[in-house]
Amino acid sequence: MTADPGPVGFPPDALPPAAKLTERPHPLTPFIRGWVVLLAVVISMGREFLPNGEGPRPLPPLEIIVAVVAALAAAAGVAGYISWRFTRFVIDADELRVDTGAIFRRSIRIAFDKVQSIDVVQPLAARMFGLAELQIDIGSHERSKLRYLQLGRAYALRDYLLARARGYQAEAATTTRSVSVLTDLHEADEVLVQVLPQTLLLAAVTSHEFWAIVLGGLLFVTVGLAIGQWWVLLAAAVPTISGLFGFVSRRVTGQFNYTLSRREHGLRIARGLTSLTSQSLPARRVQAAQLSQSPLWRLLGLYRIDIEVIGWGAVTDNEDKSGVSTILLPAGSLAQVQVALAAIWPRADFTAIELSPAPLRARWLHPFSGPFLRWGHDQYLVVSRHGWLVRRWQLVPHARIQSVRVTQGLLSRRLGLADLEFHTAGMHIAAHASGVEAGVVLERQTELMALLHHPGPDLSESGAAIGAPDSDNLGMDGDQAGPDALRADQAEATISSTE
Amino acid sequence: MTDLFTPAADWQRLPDRYVTVRRLGALTYNLATTLVGVLAVGFLFDWGWAGALALVGLAWTGWRVIRAGRWVRSFGYAERDEDLLITHGLWNKRLTAIPYGRMLSVNVESGPIDRAWGLARVELVTASVQSAGHIPGLQQADAAVLRDRLIAAGEAQALPL
Repeated sequence: MTADPGPVGFPPDALPPAAKLTERPHPLTPFIRGWVVLLAVVISMGREFLPNGEGPRPLPPLEIIVAVVAALAAAAGVAGYISWRFTRFVIDADELRVDTGAIFRRSIRIAFDKVQSIDVVQPLAARMFGLAELQIDIGSHERSKLRYLQLGRAYALRDYLLARARGYQAEAATTTRSVSVLTDLHEADEVLVQVLPQTLLLAAVTSHEFWAIVLGGLLFVTVGLAIGQWWVLLAAAVPTISGLFGFVSRRVTGQFNYTLSRREHGLRIARGLTSLTSQSLPARRVQAAQLSQSPLWRLLGLYRIDIEVIGWGAVTDNEDKSGVSTILLPAGSLAQVQVALAAIWPRADFTAIELSPAPLRARWLHPFSGPFLRWGHDQYLVVSRHGWLVRRWQLVPHARIQSVRVTQGLLSRRLGLADLEFHTAGMHIAAHASGVEAGVVLERQTELMALLHHPGPDLSESGAAIGAPDSDNLGMDGDQAGPDALRADQAEATISSTE
Repeated sequence: MTDLFTPAADWQRLPDRYVTVRRLGALTYNLATTLVGVLAVGFLFDWGWAGALALVGLAWTGWRVIRAGRWVRSFGYAERDEDLLITHGLWNKRLTAIPYGRMLSVNVESGPIDRAWGLARVELVTASVQSAGHIPGLQQADAAVLRDRLIAAGEAQALPL
């Protein structure tokens, strides 16, 4: 940010002379935010007057109901108008300011360089009016929300803010961007992974969650028939079928049209049928990834990837949730998995890592998963595999490991085994390797620590391609062979000196 | 001695005084929780069950008091060139390696019982809550020196996050 006074990215007509851009939420905002409240009020009032077993209660006269509803609507309208009137988004030379509140004024300032990621979320109600919400992640628990803006405006603002966050002076971000209702794609975007709805459907009906519901229903029916109660059939069928239907439709609508794409400023995931979400993915903040594969998926060659990102909270299990989701790939082939992982960690290739199996005696401790336990690492990633029915691969980059622990319980001491835990800043993918030979576990721990101390070029950067002036990245690009060679030497030196 | 959980390094052990502190801590904590549990069960359900619970609580307290000595002797830490090793545990043994470069901060705490015996507890904070880099029961002067050494090492070797 040199002598340039302000955002150059906005078209001249939107740029006031003071180089300050002030924006209001869309006038429809209070209605979209208010209808949920109104619905809640109507439902709670309705419940008051519904007969609840103690005999019907007399309804109050119609005029009173109408008057109450009208008064509530008027009050909500006035409150909504006031809140709209006093809400303002101001874009300055180097920060974004959100002013809200009529009585208690609140002003949030977001420095551009603190922005980690920005999501454009369209809940169904907003979507019907072509509006969208901007959620800005600055690495704290709470996301700042700008709602609601016109969809095209929201995308343009998102692109502009992300460009500023990456340290660019913004380039052309036009307000008159043509917008598709279903996707958030631009001709400049490079589509990396796209998951078709039929793949989602196939993956949903072959997933272990689906069959768990089916088996639960069958179990219920079997018990019912065994004790000769035929009505159980119906009692089991209805919730099972509705559960299955809900599960499949959640998976399909939530991830509908899933697209992972890349533009010059970063990665983005767009998805959703009823509510559309377009979230940017900060590759540097990804702590760990987990691949999983249901039993039937092994025949189909499908995988799913969940990732753990600082500040994104728990690994998503509800695919339908609008807003941020930690699913990197809802279902895809191995090739798609590789593309998706290469997008966040371009230098690492987990398929090339040789995994060593747990010794045979580990089956005493892990009777089911024992034969499938494997782990290994290369210069970028630690990979460990678990699971009997549902196979899981945990991937942790050395650069994100905070500490490494060796543990051994009473039984594993008898068997000469130990476990390794890899601690990252996330808490939800607890990466670990079970059933490691106790004789070599210390050597492995030392190796991992050496790799952690002498990282190569950052694994989130794809070498020469990225030119963003990130401060912590300067000096790490460039000389590629040097650090690699140096690291290998040092790793060996460290191992021999500590043993 | 060198085994899986004490690889060759310059191991530091905890002072013997800490055994007493740990026994006292176990005693007060266990007796207080047992008392609360016994009273709750006694008033809400049945005094017979409360008696059984009291027995269990007392046995558990006795076990912890007896084991405190061995637990403290099992605890050790070693400052290596680039990381700190912490080992402890009797049944479930663990050996944690925390690189100095990943330390975010180092805390020194001293509760009332600790203070009465002139002890303090050093805690290493990394971005991961699982790291759990606690070293309890150090002499206060040692704790301060260790903290300064750790901070110096952390600043010298800071790794990019």
